[in-house]
Amino acid sequence: MNKINLFRIIRRNQKIAEKRHPLFERNKAVKIITNVIAIFWAIYLCILGVLLAYGLKETNREAYDWVNGLFILFLITDFFLRFIVQDTPAQEIKPYKLLPIPIKFLINTFLIRMGIRRYNMFWLFFFVPFGILTVYMRPYLSFYNFAGYIIGIWLMFVFNSYWYLLWRTLMHHHSVYILIPCCIYAVLIFCGIIHDDFLINVSISFIDGFIYLNPICFIAVIGAIIAFFFINIPLQHKLIYQEIAKTERIKNLQPINLPILNHFGKTGEYLKLEIKSTIRNRIVRKQFIRGCVCMLLLCSIFSFTDVYDSGVMKTFICVYCFACLGVIIQTNIMCVEGNYMDGLMSRKESILSLLKAKYIFNCIMLIVPILFIITPLIKGKVTIMQILGCIFFTTGIIYPFIFQLAVYNNNSIHLNHKLTKNGVNTKAQMLVSMIALFIPMGIMYLLINIFDKDKAGAIMCSIGVIGTVISPLWLKNIYKRLMNRRYENMANFRKTK
Amino acid sequence: MKTWQISVKLNNVRKTFGTKTALDISSCDIHPGEIIGLVGNNGAGKTTLFRIILDLLKVDKNGSVFINDYNTAKCEDWKDITGAYIDNGFLIDYLTPDEFFSFIGKINDIDNEEMNKQLKILENFLGNEILGQNKLLRNLSAGNQQKVGIAAAMLHTPGLLILDEPFNFLDPSSQVTMKRLLADYNKETGATILFSSHNISHTLDICSRVILLEQGKIIKDLACTPDNNRQVMSEIEDYFEYHA
Repeated sequence: MNKINLFRIIRRNQKIAEKRHPLFERNKAVKIITNVIAIFWAIYLCILGVLLAYGLKETNREAYDWVNGLFILFLITDFFLRFIVQDTPAQEIKPYKLLPIPIKFLINTFLIRMGIRRYNMFWLFFFVPFGILTVYMRPYLSFYNFAGYIIGIWLMFVFNSYWYLLWRTLMHHHSVYILIPCCIYAVLIFCGIIHDDFLINVSISFIDGFIYLNPICFIAVIGAIIAFFFINIPLQHKLIYQEIAKTERIKNLQPINLPILNHFGKTGEYLKLEIKSTIRNRIVRKQFIRGCVCMLLLCSIFSFTDVYDSGVMKTFICVYCFACLGVIIQTNIMCVEGNYMDGLMSRKESILSLLKAKYIFNCIMLIVPILFIITPLIKGKVTIMQILGCIFFTTGIIYPFIFQLAVYNNNSIHLNHKLTKNGVNTKAQMLVSMIALFIPMGIMYLLINIFDKDKAGAIMCSIGVIGTVISPLWLKNIYKRLMNRRYENMANFRKTK
Repeated sequence: MKTWQISVKLNNVRKTFGTKTALDISSCDIHPGEIIGLVGNNGAGKTTLFRIILDLLKVDKNGSVFINDYNTAKCEDWKDITGAYIDNGFLIDYLTPDEFFSFIGKINDIDNEEMNKQLKILENFLGNEILGQNKLLRNLSAGNQQKVGIAAAMLHTPGLLILDEPFNFLDPSSQVTMKRLLADYNKETGATILFSSHNISHTLDICSRVILLEQGKIIKDLACTPDNNRQVMSEIEDYFEYHA
C-alpha cells in the first residue's frame, strides 16, 4: 500500500473514532449541544471581527494594525484553549504500533494531521470578516493582500499547534514544564507590551508582511512550523514508547489508614474510599483541585475585596463559596464508581453507604470556606445568621439537588488517564446540574428580595436545617430510584469503561 | 466453618439484545453443595447467565432467578451469602490488595481476626506478589488481579460462589492451586459453586455437574462422578469437535 493511501486510511479511522466514541454515539444531546456551542462561538467571533473593524476605523492607525499589534494575545488564548481541544498523538498512534507501518511514517502522519486539523482555522471566523472589512475593502489593497493575510494568520495558528504540542508532550514528563511557556508569555507581555511596545511593533511589521505578500514573512513562519515539526518527532517517538509501557510512577505509596473512620461502620469505609479516590486518581484529583481553586477564589474575593458587596450579590457569592466545591465535584457523582459498579452492586446496600459517605465528605469540606468567612464576619460584612443560612442552604437544599445526578449519571470516568471526550455530560446530567444551580439561586433571590438580609438568612437556615436533618430520607430516596434504574445505568457504565 | 445449603433456581431466564437472543433457559435447578462447571464457546451466554444470576443484567419478562427463597431482582438479602468475581469491574483499582481485602472485610462485617484467618487459607493461592506489596491493584498483572478478585469473593465465606473463567490469566501452578482451593472450599463449607471455563479438563476434575451452553441454550447437562469422568469428557469433546 502506498503512503498516500495509508495516510487516507489513518485519517478516515480518526474520523470514525471521533464519530463512534461511545459517549457521542448514544447521546444526541451532547452532539447537538457541542455543535450549538461551536456555532455560537463562530458567530460570536464573526460579530467581534465586524465590530472591531468598525470600532477601530476612526483611529490614527489602520484597524488591522491594532489587532496585528496585539496578535500575541490571540496566540496565548489559543495556546491555553488547546488544553481542552488538542491532545498528543501518542494515544492515537498506540493501536497502529504493531502493524507493519514504519513508526516514523505514523508520527509524521499524525503530526501533519495536527497541522491541518479544522480547529486551526477556527480563529478565521474572526479574521475573515475583519480582514474583508479592513484589508480587502481598502482601496489600495486587493484580494491577494486579503488572501495573504488570512493564509499568514492560519499559518501562525498552525505554528501555535506545534508549539503547544511541544509543551503538552513535555508535560507528560512533568507538569512543571507548563511554567516555561507561561513565563515566556509573561515576559513577552510585560516587556514587549506593558513596559515597552517593541513586541507590538514587531508584530505589526511581521503580519503586515503577510498583507503585503512579503515572502520573507511566509518563509519565516513556514520555517518555524517545519522546525517545530521536526523537534516534535523525537519527543512523540519517546512518548509513544512510554504510552505502550505505561506504568504508574509510584514513589513510596503511602498507606492511608484513617483509623478514626473505623468508628463509622460501612459509611466510614466508603468515606475512606472517597478520600483515597481523590488522592490516588489523577482525574478525580484534578477535578477536586479545580473545585478547591474555585472555592478559594470565591472565598478570597468575598473576604478580601468589596467587589460583590451589594445586597443580593453578597448572599449569592457567600452561598457559592460554600456550594461550589460540592457542585463541581458532584456533577460527576457515580461516574468514578462506574468503573467498579458491578462490584458495588453485588454487595448489599453498598450504594446507600456510598451516597452517605459522599454527603458527609462534602459537608466536611465546608470547613474550608467557614475558615475564610471568619474575616468578613469580623469586619461586619456578613452576620452569623447569614453565614448559617448559607451553610445549611448548601447542605440542605443545594446538595439534595446535585445528588439527584446519582440517579441519572451513567458514564464511567477514566480514573487515571485523560481521554479528550471523557468529561462529556449526558442530557440528564446537564439538565439536573442546571436545575441544581438555578433553582436554589431562584429561591434565594426571592427570599432576599422579599425579606431583609437577616430574615432571609434565618429562612434559608431553617429550610436548610430541615433538608440536612432529613438527609437520610432523601439519600434513601435517591438510592431507591437509582436501584430502579440500575440495569440501564450499569449497562452504560460498562459501555463507557 | 459454616455449612451452607444454597440452591439456585432459574425460571424462564431469557435475555435478548435487540434481535439476538443471548440466553434462553426455561428452567434449571442448581442444588445445594453442587459444583457446576459451565462450558461453551465464546458468545454462548455464560457471562450473561452469571450477570443475570447476580442481578447485574435485567432478565426478560416473566423470568426470575431465586437464590434459596430470594428473588434476586426483588431484594438484596442474597448478596450477603453470595460471592462473585466476573471481571475487573469487581475491583477498586486504586486500592492496594491489602486495602481492598480490608475494605471487603469491613463491609461484610468480618473482624480482623476472621479476615486474617481467611487470608491465611488463601495465602498459598495468592502467592507472594500480592499481599504487603504496596502496589495499587491497577498496577498488578492480569493474573494477580484475577487472584485478588477471586480471593475477595471468597473472603466472607459465601454460600454461593460465582466465578467467570477463574483459570484465565493464571499460571499453571496457580491453576492447580485454584482447582484444589475450590474443591476444598466446597467440601469444607458445603457452598454451591458456579464457574465457567474453556478448560474442560480442569472443569471435569472438580465439578459434580457440567452444563454445556450454546447460543444461550443448555445443550447438555451432565452429572460428573469419578466413574463417568472419561465418558463425560469424550461426550463434551465430541460436541466441540463436531461443531468446530
